[in-house]
Amino acid sequence: MPGFRSALARLFTIQAAFTYERMLGVGFAFAAEPLLRALDAGAGRAAGAGPGAGGARDAGAGGAAGAAAADPGPSGAPAFRAALARQAGFFNAHPYLAALAVGAAARAEVSGEPPERVERLRFALTGPLGSLGDRLIWAGWLPACAAVGLLLVACRAGVWAVVAFLVLYNVLHVWLRVWGLRMGWRSGIGVAAALASPALQRLLEVVAPVAAVAVGAALPSVLGWYPFAGRWEIAAGAGAALLCAGLVRAFQGRATGLVVAAGVLAVVIGVGVLW
Amino acid sequence: MSAATLLGVLAVGTVAGLDLVSVPQMMLARPLVAGFLGGAVAGRPLAGLGVGALLELFAFETLPIGAARYPDWGPAAAAAGALGARHGAAWDPVWLAGVTVVALVAAWLGGLTMHVVRRLNGAQLRRREADLVAGDPRALRALQAGGVLRDAVRAAVLTAFTYFAGGQVARQVRIAWHAPRALADVAVVGTALGVALWSAFRLYGRGAPRRWLAAGAVAGVAVVAGLLAW
Repeated sequence: MPGFRSALARLFTIQAAFTYERMLGVGFAFAAEPLLRALDAGAGRAAGAGPGAGGARDAGAGGAAGAAAADPGPSGAPAFRAALARQAGFFNAHPYLAALAVGAAARAEVSGEPPERVERLRFALTGPLGSLGDRLIWAGWLPACAAVGLLLVACRAGVWAVVAFLVLYNVLHVWLRVWGLRMGWRSGIGVAAALASPALQRLLEVVAPVAAVAVGAALPSVLGWYPFAGRWEIAAGAGAALLCAGLVRAFQGRATGLVVAAGVLAVVIGVGVLW
Repeated sequence: MSAATLLGVLAVGTVAGLDLVSVPQMMLARPLVAGFLGGAVAGRPLAGLGVGALLELFAFETLPIGAARYPDWGPAAAAAGALGARHGAAWDPVWLAGVTVVALVAAWLGGLTMHVVRRLNGAQLRRREADLVAGDPRALRALQAGGVLRDAVRAAVLTAFTYFAGGQVARQVRIAWHAPRALADVAVVGTALGVALWSAFRLYGRGAPRRWLAAGAVAGVAVVAGLLAW
């Protein structure tokens, strides 16, 4: 895959220019740029990349983007610039799994798929990649790894708790980006099939139970780690935790747990000062 | 604290703030890591880790999903970890309560300032709209660089705020505190654990994961018993 390493490195910055107008769009195009360079050597080389690519497509490429790209300007052939303009349009998905869409959309461009199909592909991937990433990473893998880190802190593992958390988390994180970019590039317009990959489905099946067990084990262990002065304080801490959880639940929809906790702590500090 | 250490704390907080969204999203922004790094820069990594672990419990609630506004724990945890290291080996719950309140406010402000950064990114995007429509790669690079720069400034300011305000508040609270210290102990752990408990229940408290959560909790209680016996 030409430009793989550069595209992979750029994927780590996919949210750097996040805006409410285009979401990840700018970062998406930035990451896809090294892959789209295949279109940049002029119509002859682009045509070699796939059927219908290059100059033949430029005339109608992507509406306004295609029209504006008619002038090659100082940095890039028309096909390259039209493709880049399309890829910078609105896109939203989980940042790690966006690699799959970057690879697929770039491959579709280089293979000379019609611009409308490329745009439909990007649009179609938005929902599934977002939902998959939220379930797999934000609600599964991240809490699981954080819980393992906390458990290790409770077991006095010190620096190894941090190392274990970072290594464990990033093994899946980096694998997802590498796999996504490769799989997307390999699949092109037919990338939807990659989402049904057995490895991904198996991960989805196991991640929630693993995270639930890890989080369930980590939370009580904090009571054993925290340097309470006496055992009755541990019981009081557990009781306060249940009370606070109830408060957070009561304020659900009106205030986040963070705001409720800050409020409770501020009140306790007030009581402690006025005692 | 020396100027070099202060610069180090600012650097760690800035990296942690950038990590959340801009680059590289490797979870350096989690309190467990940022707190540890803040403590390490200030000379006592394990003291920073202790503060970070406590803030990590609050962060269980945070699901950094897309355009939603969520707290930014990195700069707050880095500064709080450094304050933990500066405070020394003695674990003072009253002092910790003051630092935690400021860290919570800073994390909340982190979400708010991220919204501002995204608006500013949008303004720059509108200025470069013509270049983007023309497919100019230089416009993409400028927008990416602008986004990273704005986010870095945001993270550095948040780190400085947490460090200076947290130190001041904690000092004042410790001077003015008259209640038994156990009250601060119970409040700090109770609020952190309470937020984490509710977050765990919200994520895994329904359907099949519920029994896994319960099984984990039983194992966790066994760990507590083991730790207390040890």
